[in-house]
Amino acid sequence: MEAGLRIICFICDWAFPEWSIETPPNVSVIQVKCIGRLDPIIILEAFARGVDGVIVVGCKWPDCHFIDGSLYGERTIRLLKKIMALTGLETERLRLEMVSPIENRSLSSIVEKFIDDIKDFGPLFKGKEADKELLFNLQAAEQAVTWSRLRMLSGRERKLTEKVNVYGERISQEEYDRLIEEALEEEYIRSKIYLITKGKPASVEEISRRIGVDSFLVLQHIVTLRRKGLLGVDRIEGYTPLYKALEVG
Amino acid sequence: MRGYVKKFPPCRGACPAHVNVQAYVCLIQMGKFREAVEVIRRDLPFPAICGRVCFSPCEDACSRINIDQSVAIRSLKRLVADIEREQGRVAVKPVPKKYDEKVAIIGAGPAGLAAAYELAKLGYPVTVFERMPELGGMMRYCIPDYRLEKFVVKNEIDYILGLGVEVKTGVEFGKDITVDSLKRDGYKAIFIAIGAQLSAKLNIPGEDLEGVIHAVDFLRSLALGKRLNIGETVAVIGGGNTAIDAARTAKRLGAKRVMILYRRSREEMPAHPWEVEMAEKDGVKFYFLVAPKRIIGEGGRVRAVECLRMRLSEPDETGRRRPIPIPFTEHQYEVDMVIPAIGQVVEISCLPPEIIGKNGLIEADPVTLETKIPGVFAGGDAVTGPASIIEAVGAGKRAALSIHRYLRGEAIEEERIEETTWVKDWSLLEKKERRYESPVEKPHLSFEEVRAYLERVQRAARFEAFRCLGCGPCAECLAGVDLCVKDKAIVDESKCVGCNLCVEICPFGAIVKNESGVAQVNEEICKGCGTCAARCPKEAITLENISTDKILSALSNALVVRVV
Ligand SMILES: Cc1cc2nc3c(=O)[nH]c(=O)nc-3n(C[C@H](O)[C@H](O)[C@H](O)COP(=O)(O)OP(=O)(O)OC[C@H]3O[C@@H](n4cnc5c(N)ncnc54)[C@H](O)[C@@H]3O)c2cc1C
Repeated sequence: MEAGLRIICFICDWAFPEWSIETPPNVSVIQVKCIGRLDPIIILEAFARGVDGVIVVGCKWPDCHFIDGSLYGERTIRLLKKIMALTGLETERLRLEMVSPIENRSLSSIVEKFIDDIKDFGPLFKGKEADKELLFNLQAAEQAVTWSRLRMLSGRERKLTEKVNVYGERISQEEYDRLIEEALEEEYIRSKIYLITKGKPASVEEISRRIGVDSFLVLQHIVTLRRKGLLGVDRIEGYTPLYKALEVG
Repeated sequence: MRGYVKKFPPCRGACPAHVNVQAYVCLIQMGKFREAVEVIRRDLPFPAICGRVCFSPCEDACSRINIDQSVAIRSLKRLVADIEREQGRVAVKPVPKKYDEKVAIIGAGPAGLAAAYELAKLGYPVTVFERMPELGGMMRYCIPDYRLEKFVVKNEIDYILGLGVEVKTGVEFGKDITVDSLKRDGYKAIFIAIGAQLSAKLNIPGEDLEGVIHAVDFLRSLALGKRLNIGETVAVIGGGNTAIDAARTAKRLGAKRVMILYRRSREEMPAHPWEVEMAEKDGVKFYFLVAPKRIIGEGGRVRAVECLRMRLSEPDETGRRRPIPIPFTEHQYEVDMVIPAIGQVVEISCLPPEIIGKNGLIEADPVTLETKIPGVFAGGDAVTGPASIIEAVGAGKRAALSIHRYLRGEAIEEERIEETTWVKDWSLLEKKERRYESPVEKPHLSFEEVRAYLERVQRAARFEAFRCLGCGPCAECLAGVDLCVKDKAIVDESKCVGCNLCVEICPFGAIVKNESGVAQVNEEICKGCGTCAARCPKEAITLENISTDKILSALSNALVVRVV
């Protein structure tokens, strides 16, 4: 097996009869009630802890034990892939496989195929300087998915794209994707600003340099974060204000 | 309050005995076959019987029917019951008597036996009076062996008797015993479940010729071991399941030609389409839109039936199309045996006159099953007219509850489960045909074949069970079985901002907002899938047992083990 890539496999409690839950030794299986249960933070955290690949196996509609729980799970994975792309992670390291318990498929072959497909990427953390950046990015992503904007928007994805609203309209999948990508980008940058200033107070310029985002844009985000009560001015050095993340709750 | 809403999945709601279908199907998914039988027995003492011959209203109600086909619930029930019989049932222990009031049950059909079962479980001394030598009613004497083997009936009745039910056979109500004599003998409550045992008459000339035998009498005589002369050509009259059973039995006993004469068309037949199909496979011929006018004899024996052709009226107010004879269309079928099967009626001659209703049935409250005589309850076919085993069981259960409350001096009608709730409306989806042959059922197997067959089908059964959508709320099947971590969503009210997201996404509609706009989880419905918790914008929802932190620590553990 490829230098023992560390793989986590989240499976739905109901997806397989117990005799078919067998996996290669470098794979840990974690059973959850439904893949709809997977908070995006769980999967991002797995990567942050150095897992090289995550495969989620849930139940195809209509065989989800929780009616459409797995359809929600499916949307979460889509969201996560977009987030992973932002953090610089190969999106292939996350895979969703929808099975039907009736199909009697073997979990091990599904997992082996996955490992085979990602083996060329090698380990996630390569023991180099870049690792620190990736970890920071992942932490920012985790921060972003705990904030309500993304959760609200992604939680409503199915309602927005599948159902017609009271005015007889429906948002197309493309429109929704544009919306969420826009929100994602903003929230991701804001999370980074938040994380940086959580460590130690920083100026707009410092932040801009650190995350490679135009300082005017950084300032805009800072205004939003301040309005939300997530950021405050720590002190003013010369004429430059230094911002600090505020603890919430 | 008369009737309250209990949140049942549609299968359980549709079952007159409210058998916890979702629970046992779920247990079958996990391969817990014996536990599954136990769960069935909580509500129904006849898993093997109903697994064979129930009309399974549960399958008609099954949500899966809107997607492809309903789950083969009945076959699954049969399978687990058969497996239990193969492996040997845990011996039943008599239930200690908790109460002194003696209860008399008249008639040992499914209604009477189900009532005895429930009352014995509650701890009452119960005596069942039956005029036939064997218990079981129609299940024992009329449903033919090829559909329901006698040893299956006996096996399940033995279970009921094992709980400590007393039986007196060969005792006829109305002759050997009466309501008054029973009361004198110290019985405090009586449940009359005498069924509808008499054949309805054709009332046409020639009905008393030799060679004419009514379906129920025909089947009963055979079950009693009497030898009957089976004709070469047999005409069965009627379109119900009884007609089909009589026709197929005659065919099996060697009749060369068997025909069923029915006065309406195929669509109107009360018999289930799969029964009709099986009869056709057996070689029974169907003639529609014909009604007998007289039976013609020769030397006192049947020679032919003379029939009239019929046409159907336009649907009347009730939507039924009545058959109307077409004049001058008399024609004859040469036969040497006629089996009328046009229904059964209640033998009212044995009953106290005050409980007989206008329609020749016993009059009883449809919910509580009380009759006009205090302490006397009635149910089953005797009250509804010919129906089904599962309805009789449902009646037996309701009567048992009423009797218990009557004897305890409680209000009899309170808190009855009447209505059920669809958890999710699947009906928007296109409805598909119901399947009649199941992947796990093989109807005709010899005793020896069964064991090998069961082995093979066990996996098939589990996959069939996996087709269950689990569309109802938590079925609480696993109490004491220790299989499923029961979980519930919990809302932290101080964090909830009332955004409504959880209300929208809960697959089961378990979350509503209260007056102050805070999300509230209905614990009875929540199945703990956590779809809401994974999305709550304010992280205000967590799960009682498996919180996100718990999943994260499972993750840590997995990684630690890997390093070592
Ligand atoms: C041929 C046939 C096939 C059927 N097939 C099916 C099927 O496949 N599936 C299904 O669900 N249902 C079927 N049924 C219907 C089902 O059998 C009945 O609805 C059910 O048995 C009714 O139960 P019960 O307890 O009300 O009455 P019964 O089963 O009729 O039992 C009444 C009992 O009371 C006894 N009794 C009557 N009078 C007296 C008296 N005066 N004193 C003492 N005892 C008395 C009788 O001997 C009998 O044991 C079938 C019926 C028939 C006739």
